[in-house]
Amino acid sequence: MIRLDNIEVTFGDFVAIPNLDLHVKPGEFFTLLGPSGCGKTTALRTLAGFIEPSAGTVHVDGKNVTRLPSDKRQVGMVFQNYALFPSMSVWENIAFGLRVRKEKTAESDRLVRDIARRVELSDEQLHKNVAELSGGQQQRVAVARALVLRPKILLLDEPLSNLDAKLRHQLRQQLKDLQSEFGITTVYVTHDQDEALAMSDRVAVFNKGVVEQVGTPQSIYDDAATEFVCNFIGDSSPLTPEFIAELNRLSGAGLSPTANSYLRVEKASLTQPATGGTAVGLSGKVVSRTYHGLHSRYIVRSHGADLRLLVKEDGAAHPEAGAEATVYVQPGHVLQYHPDTGRALDRREPAVTLP
Amino acid sequence: MSGSSRGGSSAKSMLRSPFILIVGAVLTWFIAAFLVWPNVNVLIATFFPDGNFSGRAAEKLFSSQRAMKSLGNSFMLAVALSITVNVVGIFIVLVTHYFRIRGSRILFLGYATTFIYGGIVLAAGYKFIYGDKGIITSLLLQVFPGMDAAWFSGFFAVLVVMTFATTTNHMLFVANALRGVDYQTIEAAKNLGASSWTILRRVVLPMLKPTLFAVTILSFLTGLGALSAPQVLGGRDFQTITPMILTFTNSPTSRDLAALLAVILGAATILMLAVMTRLEKGGTYFSVSKVSSALRKQQITNPVANIAVHLTAYLLFAVYTLPVLLIVLYSFADGAAIQTGQLSPGSLTLDNYVRVLTQESGLRPFVVSVVYSALAAVIAVGGLLFVARLLQKYRNWVSSLFEYLLHIPWILPSALLALGLIISYDHPNPLVGGAVLTGTTVILLIAFVTVKIPFTLRMLKASFASVNSSLEEAAAIMGAKTLYVFRRILLPLVLPAAAAIAALNFNSLLDDYDTAIFLAHPLVQPLGLVIKANTDGAEGVEGVANTFVYTVLLMVITGLTMYLVYGRSGRRGAGKSGAGPSGRRRAGFPGTVTIAEAAPGPEAAPLPAGRP
Repeated sequence: MIRLDNIEVTFGDFVAIPNLDLHVKPGEFFTLLGPSGCGKTTALRTLAGFIEPSAGTVHVDGKNVTRLPSDKRQVGMVFQNYALFPSMSVWENIAFGLRVRKEKTAESDRLVRDIARRVELSDEQLHKNVAELSGGQQQRVAVARALVLRPKILLLDEPLSNLDAKLRHQLRQQLKDLQSEFGITTVYVTHDQDEALAMSDRVAVFNKGVVEQVGTPQSIYDDAATEFVCNFIGDSSPLTPEFIAELNRLSGAGLSPTANSYLRVEKASLTQPATGGTAVGLSGKVVSRTYHGLHSRYIVRSHGADLRLLVKEDGAAHPEAGAEATVYVQPGHVLQYHPDTGRALDRREPAVTLP
Repeated sequence: MSGSSRGGSSAKSMLRSPFILIVGAVLTWFIAAFLVWPNVNVLIATFFPDGNFSGRAAEKLFSSQRAMKSLGNSFMLAVALSITVNVVGIFIVLVTHYFRIRGSRILFLGYATTFIYGGIVLAAGYKFIYGDKGIITSLLLQVFPGMDAAWFSGFFAVLVVMTFATTTNHMLFVANALRGVDYQTIEAAKNLGASSWTILRRVVLPMLKPTLFAVTILSFLTGLGALSAPQVLGGRDFQTITPMILTFTNSPTSRDLAALLAVILGAATILMLAVMTRLEKGGTYFSVSKVSSALRKQQITNPVANIAVHLTAYLLFAVYTLPVLLIVLYSFADGAAIQTGQLSPGSLTLDNYVRVLTQESGLRPFVVSVVYSALAAVIAVGGLLFVARLLQKYRNWVSSLFEYLLHIPWILPSALLALGLIISYDHPNPLVGGAVLTGTTVILLIAFVTVKIPFTLRMLKASFASVNSSLEEAAAIMGAKTLYVFRRILLPLVLPAAAAIAALNFNSLLDDYDTAIFLAHPLVQPLGLVIKANTDGAEGVEGVANTFVYTVLLMVITGLTMYLVYGRSGRRGAGKSGAGPSGRRRAGFPGTVTIAEAAPGPEAAPLPAGRP
């Protein structure tokens, strides 16, 4: 549906995106995720036609649109702040594109009302000024305005970053529901990994203009392809060579002690997992415990590594700071990266990868 | 906003402090004597000349053809000016801020020349260049001997001069509003298929609507109250209200007529301001979002349109800069060159400057203006420091009342204020200890101070409001008394802003004409009056040369002051301030608009182009 090939974007001397390839499948909810300044918005704007790449091509639905202006690409866009026209009513905002296309008023009205109903905007709201709407309603107007022209793809540029946390949670569900209802191919930009994991079919993780990994939310979380992705997504503790050596000794696993190794916080525990057959216990000492109500966060020092882990507050007795403790870890959960390239070591054949 | 929620802000608690009582007493006397009574007196002189209601002034007005014609002319000028200023103003703002135009920075500097000269100086400059004995006219006459030497006069000349003199409002406020337009809305419109023209017409201009309304009303009022431009360039056939008021004021038998005209002018002004305040309240035109992106300049894609816009932009640039360049150039020229318009390198000397700066007659008006302006600027700021602080700290009906009263000069035309002072103090008056003020040097100083009160008060209040109230509370906790806190904590923080406000006041009074023409002492004539006299040819070629030198010096002083006040941090400050055009002289009516800026923003501009 969307293909970006060898895209290069430069601003003066600054190379924002050196060489980007991305393929988005029809109907997919595809997310560009990364820290601010990583080039994800630049990639989206290149796709929208606001930035002309210095090299490479953009295809939408098999058609080369690289040199086409934004409005000829059949892409709809929802801007970070919705970019609703403050001097127009909701109806006029949604009808704007239709009026530009010289659509007949009656037909425009029918289309506007139709799309408004589908995004759950009432007739009464249609005649309000955009400033009178809540954040969620404004978002729906922005979506309706983009969709009323029946674009082939919908681009969303951090549309939730403008809102407070509670509304953000609520609206991301609405946005996802709208997308699945319309079945439209969607490219979504965000710096919020939680949003990306919860909403996307696939995620591309950006860093300094380069895509580090493309995959389903679960694959980028469980099999982070690079050290950057591992650190950017989720929460994990760095492990020491001594710790790896001890883990290898106890379990017989062949983990590389010289690689940069990490363990996700939720993968370590202070109790023997009921089903985890391969878990081994390493001795350690509780450094601190922070109570969060639902759970407590622990830092346990074991063989030079400060392991962070979560313990569910289920009413059982738990060790306090200073107490000796045993940390249970499955060797298969350890994520390992080449210290120079940052690439993941293949965990299935651990010993061979590192020369 | 300290104090608003505290118990200490009530009217009662205010009256408990002896210090506040003294300030309040002085303030009450000042307001009564110089803001309220003179204007009430004008009303009395108009409608109750002998203690009983009389319609005689109205009868006189209706039977005076000249007066009726001037009324008509004023409204015609006001309407025409509202249109022309908008056309030119919007164009220059778009060219400098919205479209991608080659050399837009140079263009900006050209269009911004009205920031450093305006009013009588500008009108005089245009007359010396395009008038019947003007430099350009002389040159043209040599090419077309048959042409009318007085081609640049009457309604047309007044309208042209005032149009180019008052686009300052657009450069300040419309440009500022344009900077506030969220670029994402423009991109959204593009994404939806809108052309550049559609985007401008349907998205951008509607967002500027409230600002455009406001500058239109300012233009209307400027046209209505015009004084110097019609006087200098209007000729016999085109006279307006304010010059009429001036004429009628000078003869005791027609004072009631002057008063009635001033009342009409004042009523029209108040009405327009009320309309503006209403318009400002209605509707949301500004961005509804929290994150907006900065405007990027738009390329005009149609090549023909692009060339046409470039040509027009540079033509206007020439119109704006030609008078300035010629004035600077001819300020070095000798009398012969000024008379014939023909300039040779040999005729350029520093003689004019030497004469103005060394001869008593040349230097005197300059010194008079500097002394008056400096005194008025310092008195206004110094006197209002305490008052502004008290009004900012105490919010109750007493302080609101004072605040409204102090804004009287803001809603009334200066001709009305001046006339009020003249007729109230041309006989011994108990309000000022039985003294006669009319005809003395003091009355102009009082008027200068009065005129500057609203602006000074608003800016000072804003700078007090911007001081973090925790500082004050911290000092109070450590045991500092109110006055001590004021002296040691607040004053040092507010002083830079106060200095800037004083500088801007000084600037705008330096070339004042509208107030001085009514009130100046015949032997102590400030610059504006001397420049005006020179346009009548009173001092011959030397007078013209002197005026050129004065103009150059005024431009240097004004430019320097504006650089010191805005220049170094100006660009940034200009961008963030969202205050409407109202800021300049009119909006920010107490209670409706608050400016939360420490240093005066661009809305504080001295606006030399006030009433040419």
